[in-house]
Amino acid sequence: MKRRILIVGGGTAGTMTANNLAKKLMPEIDKGEIEITMISDSPKHIYRPGAMYVAFHKSHGNEFIRDQRSLLMLEIDFIVDKAVEIKAKENYVKGKSGTKYEYDYLVLATGCEVAADRIPGLEEGGDWFFSYEGAQKLAKKFEKLKKGRVLVTINFPKTPNIPHQCGIAPVETTIMLHDYLTERGVRDNVEIIYTYPKNAQGVEDGLFLQTPTSNVLPTVFDGVNVKYKTSFTLNRVDAQKKIAYSEEGEEMEFDILMATPPFIAAKVIRDSGLSEARDNEGWLPTDKQTLKVKGLDNVYTLGDTVDLAVSKAGGTIHNQTDVVADNIAAEVRYGYPTECYDGKVIAVAQMGLSCGMPLWYDYEEDVQPTPCSKLGSFVRLGFNKGLYWAAARGML
Amino acid sequence: MSEEMKVIKTAEMQKIEEQMTMLVQTGRIDNLIDLMAVVSDQIEMTTTPMAEKMVKSIDNITTAGFVTENAVRYAMRENTNNEIPSMFGLLKLMKDDETRRGLAFMLNLTKGIGKQLS
Repeated sequence: MKRRILIVGGGTAGTMTANNLAKKLMPEIDKGEIEITMISDSPKHIYRPGAMYVAFHKSHGNEFIRDQRSLLMLEIDFIVDKAVEIKAKENYVKGKSGTKYEYDYLVLATGCEVAADRIPGLEEGGDWFFSYEGAQKLAKKFEKLKKGRVLVTINFPKTPNIPHQCGIAPVETTIMLHDYLTERGVRDNVEIIYTYPKNAQGVEDGLFLQTPTSNVLPTVFDGVNVKYKTSFTLNRVDAQKKIAYSEEGEEMEFDILMATPPFIAAKVIRDSGLSEARDNEGWLPTDKQTLKVKGLDNVYTLGDTVDLAVSKAGGTIHNQTDVVADNIAAEVRYGYPTECYDGKVIAVAQMGLSCGMPLWYDYEEDVQPTPCSKLGSFVRLGFNKGLYWAAARGML
Repeated sequence: MSEEMKVIKTAEMQKIEEQMTMLVQTGRIDNLIDLMAVVSDQIEMTTTPMAEKMVKSIDNITTAGFVTENAVRYAMRENTNNEIPSMFGLLKLMKDDETRRGLAFMLNLTKGIGKQLS
């Protein structure tokens, strides 16, 4: 009997997993025993980490967008349809078109989305680089900036121990901003203030969500004349007066507010009833080892949708995707999963416009900061502009 | 009066010293230092635009590899699952839009090569 694997979401997690599944299950596909289908709400695939380069005029942005079909192996059926309802007990997902997509195994890879409206005034008064539109808007503001203050703020989900998207991105962009303004010759007239919320997963009154990096950051920021302040948990913005207010009762003026806004899971997940996250944020309860959705034996998830404490980033997904693909392949062949995710995250942080810092960590070990280098920056560039597409295609 | 200094070395440091000594004694160290200098010079002389262009070429090669792999797998599967077509059967294959699109691509590819040969 033919078994159907349905992947919901055509981002990094869905695309890598679909291709890895097709590779691992090729003998069964050849025999007509397996059918892999992906549904996505867009015919385009967007490489989101590219957006932060757009904010500093280091990329136009179009090089980070490709046709989704061109990234998928021929064995994968690709359908553009927005998932609107998940019926886990009846084993189907309903699309906006009205189609019911039945499955034997389901992979939920719907990512997360910006929810700036959860902070009053942030949509009107703030900017962010987590989308191409937002990054283009920010780029125009940075281009005009001659003097004043750029305030960096970061919001975490309200659900305890869940990170915002790409934990290192606020640090990366703060230092990139320093380099960009220095290149333009206006850095001396612009004050950059990096703030961090009081509680960041396990770290209290720090500057990063892991202690070793939090301890090193004051030295890094002092070296580039970036001011920093902990325990500033943004809770309101006055867009007219250009003032940011914190839960701790402080206020700060700004000319540009470069925010890491609140994030929530995709609407279809929030509406599914599968999540127990606070404030209807929608993070899926995920088994940290098998990457199954807790309580559902034939549903897997990975990437930005999960409720795990690891970074919501491509460097996480690249390590999760093979666990999901191996486990589904094992279930098809033996009836049970065989692989465990160890929490591994591997990435190269862009610490300024021309310096890259390799980093890795897992459930047991935090990131140990290492010196950044020009060669590291080339590795990051290589991944952004070329190797990513090979990784998405399951070639790397 | 000379003073004797005692340096305490770990086993790892002792091992490194012995191996470095071997490299110096055999003259290999000169080549290795030259090699490191060449690597360092390459990094120094490579600019971001240069790296970007090289990466683009790698992306083109992997994309071509992906497209080819897909096509070869598809063709192998179709050949395995179907009888060898007759002459009329070959013509019937041409009725398929994707087959004609692929053929048109191959002919245009040939023309693209031809234009560079003239």
